Amino acid sequence: MPGFFVLLRIVLQGIKPDMLRGRLTESGKRGLVLISPPFAYALLLLAVPLATILLFSFWTQDYLTIDTTFTFSNYTEAFGDPLYMALLRRSLLIAGAVTVVTVLLAFPIAYFVSFHVQPSRKSLWLFLITIPFWTSYLIRVFLWKVILGYNGVLNSSLIGVGLIDEPLSFILYNANAVVITLAHAFAPFAILPIFVALEKIDRSLLEASLDLGETRVTTFLRVTLPLAMPGVVAAVLIVFIPTIGDYVTPRLVGGPDGLMIANMIQTQFLKLNNAPMGATLAILAMLSVTAVSLVFIWLNRRWLRGPK
Amino acid sequence: MTLIQLSGVNKHFGDYHALRDIDLEIQQGEFFSLLGPSGCGKTTLLRTIAGFEDVGSGSIRIDGRDMKGVGPNLRPTNMVFQSYAIFPHLSVAENVGFGLRRADMTRDEKTRAVGEALEMVGLGGYGGRAANALSGGQRQRVALARALILKPKVLLLDEPLSALDKKIREQMQVELIKLQREVGITFILVTHDQEEALVMSDRIAVMFDGGIGQMDDPETLYRRPRSKRVAQFIGMMNFLDGEVAATGTEIEVTVQGLGRCSVAAEQAPGAVAPGPVSIGIRPETLSLLFEGETTTRKEVAAVVDEVVYYGDMTYYDVRVDGIEKPLTLSMKNLIGRPVLDVGTQTRVAWDERSLVLLGH
Amino acid sequence: MRGLRIYAIAYLVFLYAPIFLLPLFAFNDADIIAFPLSGFTTHWFEELTRNAALQAAVRNSLIIAASTAVLSTILGICAARAATMADWPLKRPMMGLIMLPLVLPEIIVAVSLLVVIVQVFGLGLSNATIIAAHTLICMPFSIAVLNGAFQNLDPALEEAALDLGESRWSAFRLVILPLVMPGIISSLLISFTISLDEFIIAFFLSGANPTMPVYIWGLLRFPGQLPVVMAMGTILVALSIILLTIAELMRRRGLKRAGLKDTGGFL
Repeated sequence: MPGFFVLLRIVLQGIKPDMLRGRLTESGKRGLVLISPPFAYALLLLAVPLATILLFSFWTQDYLTIDTTFTFSNYTEAFGDPLYMALLRRSLLIAGAVTVVTVLLAFPIAYFVSFHVQPSRKSLWLFLITIPFWTSYLIRVFLWKVILGYNGVLNSSLIGVGLIDEPLSFILYNANAVVITLAHAFAPFAILPIFVALEKIDRSLLEASLDLGETRVTTFLRVTLPLAMPGVVAAVLIVFIPTIGDYVTPRLVGGPDGLMIANMIQTQFLKLNNAPMGATLAILAMLSVTAVSLVFIWLNRRWLRGPK
Repeated sequence: MTLIQLSGVNKHFGDYHALRDIDLEIQQGEFFSLLGPSGCGKTTLLRTIAGFEDVGSGSIRIDGRDMKGVGPNLRPTNMVFQSYAIFPHLSVAENVGFGLRRADMTRDEKTRAVGEALEMVGLGGYGGRAANALSGGQRQRVALARALILKPKVLLLDEPLSALDKKIREQMQVELIKLQREVGITFILVTHDQEEALVMSDRIAVMFDGGIGQMDDPETLYRRPRSKRVAQFIGMMNFLDGEVAATGTEIEVTVQGLGRCSVAAEQAPGAVAPGPVSIGIRPETLSLLFEGETTTRKEVAAVVDEVVYYGDMTYYDVRVDGIEKPLTLSMKNLIGRPVLDVGTQTRVAWDERSLVLLGH
Repeated sequence: MRGLRIYAIAYLVFLYAPIFLLPLFAFNDADIIAFPLSGFTTHWFEELTRNAALQAAVRNSLIIAASTAVLSTILGICAARAATMADWPLKRPMMGLIMLPLVLPEIIVAVSLLVVIVQVFGLGLSNATIIAAHTLICMPFSIAVLNGAFQNLDPALEEAALDLGESRWSAFRLVILPLVMPGIISSLLISFTISLDEFIIAFFLSGANPTMPVYIWGLLRFPGQLPVVMAMGTILVALSIILLTIAELMRRRGLKRAGLKDTGGFL
């Protein structure tokens, strides 16, 4: 849950009336002193900059001079321009697809490690899963390009074994390539939260369910899955949110149809030198991510009895 | 000699009144227990004495010195924590010698002191072991040695036996009493286990809702609880309704089902006014009369309602005319004494001297 | 569950596919990164020692990563320690703000810092700006790792040290610090690794001296240098695996020291 809404929500939740009335405990005082440096850091380097781009999004820029008159013109322009809207829509769609694919692929792995791996070997499996992701992201994305390319590893081997005659062309320089690459990039971020949720499930609950006449499949659907939902929700958010902000993968493997809003934000800031427009797009991206996330959380609470 | 004196101690956590007007004096060399259900404030009280919590109002004096503003590291108290708080990264000897770091002693003296402390708690030769390799009972001994090595004026024990199994717990109770006599240090024990408190203490303060309900030696506490609440918390007790008719050195009282009795004034909580009153009677002061048995005590007809067999004892619930709730009584299972069946008509012997008048 | 096991192994192949390719191309005797492979060579590793620009970028990245690791771990210790303390007003929102970068697209952090630094304060971009930003995004990870270490601590341990005559500071030094040391080392390594690999923010905020990922990004459009990058990538992968293995071993040792069962996992 990114952005201001979250910030606002936690601020509102954090103020308990009795805290303001009552005196600080000794331990609370020490906590406050200790939290000051990291909090001041986050305030200065995160809250202030976020507020600044919000402000910038209401300003305009003409070549090098910034016009600080308050205006909605950036937003009108953004909403009026089919290119921006198409990029935003595509970003949300791609991020959605990446999320669905990543989480669906990740769930069985998390389930396997949690339920079918001996306890003493679990951390080895987790270690194996995490290792590839501490290696250079850029190089990894580039290597996917090598794998998926026209003369790439995949096509060569498929032709080699005689499964296809012509190299497949729908797997590189389009949205599919972006989805595959990002599903790879975010794998551990999806596996770990689901694994943690599955680990917390008391195994005797499953035995109780079997004892009460459910089959293994219905036990999975009625007990395991609902209890794993907090992990799934965390996985969905952890994958979905940063995906919107990625511009490396679309640029390298996305081709012209795979570009996303982050590429445009980058262009506005670094090429067109239009910071206010870039800020506006950044704010819009953030708002739409927040909106989608909140809707997802709401749906989950409403229909899947997910975490409160 | 009074070692610890608490007067008018109050403590709030937000809106929660954790300690209410605590007045307490503990003597040098006493084994004192704070007994009560969870959330009654006993641990908070112990922690204010240790200096981990400051008091809202009132004062704590240890050995005549006001403890206001004195940190836990500077107080003449040491604590055995509920979790024992054994430092997991240090060996047994390093744990025990932890508090000697600043002591004005040579290395040899420290080593000797640690060895003696370990001997004292029966862990001689365990010094080199890793703290993690110890059992629950051993950890507890290390915690004791670590606190006692500093020769505190007061040793504070926060539910020290609650994490042990029944057998070891009973063994440690005896060892703790012996140890306390040996070192002569004042012990203050926090416990929710009434039996433990009765077994170990010279005096017990029973706490409810942040206040002290009754403070007495174990026998007085058991025999003459001053309120229904204390009576309920300590041991088993039958409660009967009664009506005080006349007061004096002997209190005249009508008890439901048992009729007119006279009770010694010391069996009542201070002054008693004529009117309704609650009367307590312990199960072991009642006894069943078997076929043909006679007694010099008073007797009343009863019907066996429930039988619970404990091996050494049998607990009976019996119905007596005029009392709504069955009376519980306990009988030793002596040789030749039968266990009665439910529904048996019988008689119960009782004694006026075992009646206690209770406040609220 | 045979099917699941096969799936798990297939998934691992998917995860490791790109990493397997890395050494193949690093030792491949060809200018382009494509199949078929030509032959074995260590030429690209030799080239690596001659490429001054690349070396400079690596050195730059190492400086940034080391500074970030130290800064974010120190701030993380403060925050993780504070989190174990009793409540104070606004505790949750304060912690929320500090953890926010975890759920914020990196490009947002990048552009907002860019605007503040360049447009508002008129400052130049340098390694310092990248370190500042990397510390911001690494801090939540440090806190997550350290939280585990601090929360596993029995609060009575500190009280016991105080009770035995130590001051707050010496209790921290003698009891808490040694017990959370494995967590601190994990935090240092994780922040270091994140910073070393981070591209999105570094691209926006780097000054005259590019970081390693920024330099590689530049090369991706001029493929002539790519085999050298593969060689360096191979070295870095090997290095990461070594570092992470150490971190994992430290974590296990920490658990053992605290007398806890291994529940698995870094994060």
